[in-house]
Amino acid sequence: MDGDPGLTAAPIPAEAGIGLRHPHVAAFLAGRPAIGWIEVHSENYLMPVGPRGGGPRLKQLEAIRRDYPLSCHGVGLSLGSAEGLDDAHLTRLRALFDRVQPGLVSEHLAWSVTGGVYLNDLLPLPYTDEALGVVCRNVDRAQEAFARQVLVENPSSYIGFAGSTIAEWQFLAEVSRRTGCGILLDVNNIHVSAHNHGFDPEPYLDAIPPEAVGEIHIAGHFVASLDGETVLIDDHGASVDPAVWRLFRSALARLGRRPVLVEWDTNIPALPVLLAEADKAQAILDALCPYPAVGHVA
Amino acid sequence: MTAKTLSVAAALAGAISVAGMALSLPAYADNEKCYGVAKAGENDCANEAGSHSCAGQSTVDYDGGEWQLVPAGSCEEMGGSLEPFEGVNPTPPA
Amino acid sequence: MRCVRTLRSAMLRDFQRAFRRDLLGDGDGDLAAFTGMAPDQAARRMRIYRNNVQGSLAGVLASAFPVVERLVGKAFFRAAARAFVERHPPTVPQLSVYGADLPGFLAGFPPARTLPYLADVARLEWARIEAYFAGDAAPLDPAGLSSIDPADAAGLTFRLHPAVRLVASPFPVQRIWQANQPDHGTVSKVDLQAGVERVLVFRPAMTVLAHVLSAGDFALVQGIAAGATLGSAAAAAIEAEPGFSLQQALADHFSRAIFTDAA
Repeated sequence: MDGDPGLTAAPIPAEAGIGLRHPHVAAFLAGRPAIGWIEVHSENYLMPVGPRGGGPRLKQLEAIRRDYPLSCHGVGLSLGSAEGLDDAHLTRLRALFDRVQPGLVSEHLAWSVTGGVYLNDLLPLPYTDEALGVVCRNVDRAQEAFARQVLVENPSSYIGFAGSTIAEWQFLAEVSRRTGCGILLDVNNIHVSAHNHGFDPEPYLDAIPPEAVGEIHIAGHFVASLDGETVLIDDHGASVDPAVWRLFRSALARLGRRPVLVEWDTNIPALPVLLAEADKAQAILDALCPYPAVGHVA
Repeated sequence: MTAKTLSVAAALAGAISVAGMALSLPAYADNEKCYGVAKAGENDCANEAGSHSCAGQSTVDYDGGEWQLVPAGSCEEMGGSLEPFEGVNPTPPA
Repeated sequence: MRCVRTLRSAMLRDFQRAFRRDLLGDGDGDLAAFTGMAPDQAARRMRIYRNNVQGSLAGVLASAFPVVERLVGKAFFRAAARAFVERHPPTVPQLSVYGADLPGFLAGFPPARTLPYLADVARLEWARIEAYFAGDAAPLDPAGLSSIDPADAAGLTFRLHPAVRLVASPFPVQRIWQANQPDHGTVSKVDLQAGVERVLVFRPAMTVLAHVLSAGDFALVQGIAAGATLGSAAAAAIEAEPGFSLQQALADHFSRAIFTDAA
């Protein structure tokens, strides 16, 4: 690997991609499956840095990255933490981005750190003026530390708060307006939260500024019956639900062509099944938002 | 120069002369493909679904008498040689 | 200005602390008041988060300690992990470093006391995890030492590769580890009375390897790790093992690429 000139940034194309997870890494190393781009969780590749820092996992990602545009999707920055962001974590993430040159960097409208403890879940925020200030400060801070725009993803959630004074879609749009961050629109999350909180997903889509949306996520969810109440659980453990495909079409009609990512994190299927799901997304993308015909440009 | 420093020098020289070739063993090759991918320590963004039947189990309080588990051990896998340590299992609460 | 900001975030901070208490077991249930849901519905929904946090972290620990899980069984491991997570939740949002405290926790975990080797097996598994995630370093080329003045040899110090770890136990931990690998086809007997086992864990390139060292060899590497000169590390090795061959040990370690530098 000595003398590797390093990677240069490759933009994420407005095509279908897949989340690359552990069971499929070997297949990507052995061959080069046909897919437009890939996304990984940033926190899985934070290794000791230095001239030759890295270790096997980062080396494998670098090898794959040479052949695919890569998006780094964070799950641990905790943009909603009242106590602010962790400097050390920002530094580790920046080192990773410098190394693998992602085309997109994203995080969640959620929190997971409090009092120095990391809770390993994307926890819900009360949508208040106070929280809006906290999130905007944290997003500013992250974009400054990374010297680039960050996309912020709408979360799925199971509880809402009596004290919330702002609708989630307004909150997200306002964070984007104030900080200049982009939006990662997770259509499955909208569907899950709409069911769990009893709101209509269509006005949600209407409130999202189309120009801010840099990426769309789709995934499967689990329909749980808890003490007789039906709750949708965002387990990314199945094929995409028909209702989510419908909402995806609605989103494309408003937004136009965007990079679309299929996430599958539990009950991970064989790679061809995941690629077939991405093909399905690609076909919808091509049907609803075809590229303009070329050849007529003066 | 003492006999001890001489013997260290001789051992080092001897080691240098026989070492080296093993560095080219396949296991040492700097090739990302020859390593089995480790799954340990992964951050995830998905929620637990399959285990919701046990959601909300009371938390384990092994000091307070709720503890009912004893380690299964792996006597079979290890040829039964762990038996010397049986017989002192904590008594499960009645 | 600073004071004002702190005050502005105070309510959100208190809410997040309360949420955390609820997730990690010692909640007072006051979150229901925040939600505006009926108490039973709020409790049901909160269980989803509790299950996510505790279940996902138990899963992370199981993936880092597969031999420990196999030794105690899945149910025991799950329950022990739950107890561990509540007492030692992650402090860094990077789960490749979560679990360092599990061996120590198991050593003092009353229900595991019938398996006295368990904590040491956990230490070996954690050493392998650390070796896997350690940085890279170019190995020392022993040929570069051939020009050294014999009078200076005993004064040499070596720098160890960042992945090198040493684990010593009164139990045959490496054999237990080996016997509990999924690809270990034949059932092998492990004699728990076999005596002390000293293990060198290293990762010359992409693969984590482990090798059982003799008492002298272990003392040698331990000395080198502590920054001792070759002469004094060798003296400690001979004291630990009268028949110790420094030449053989050094040749082995050169070929394992556990040194990156000599000075």
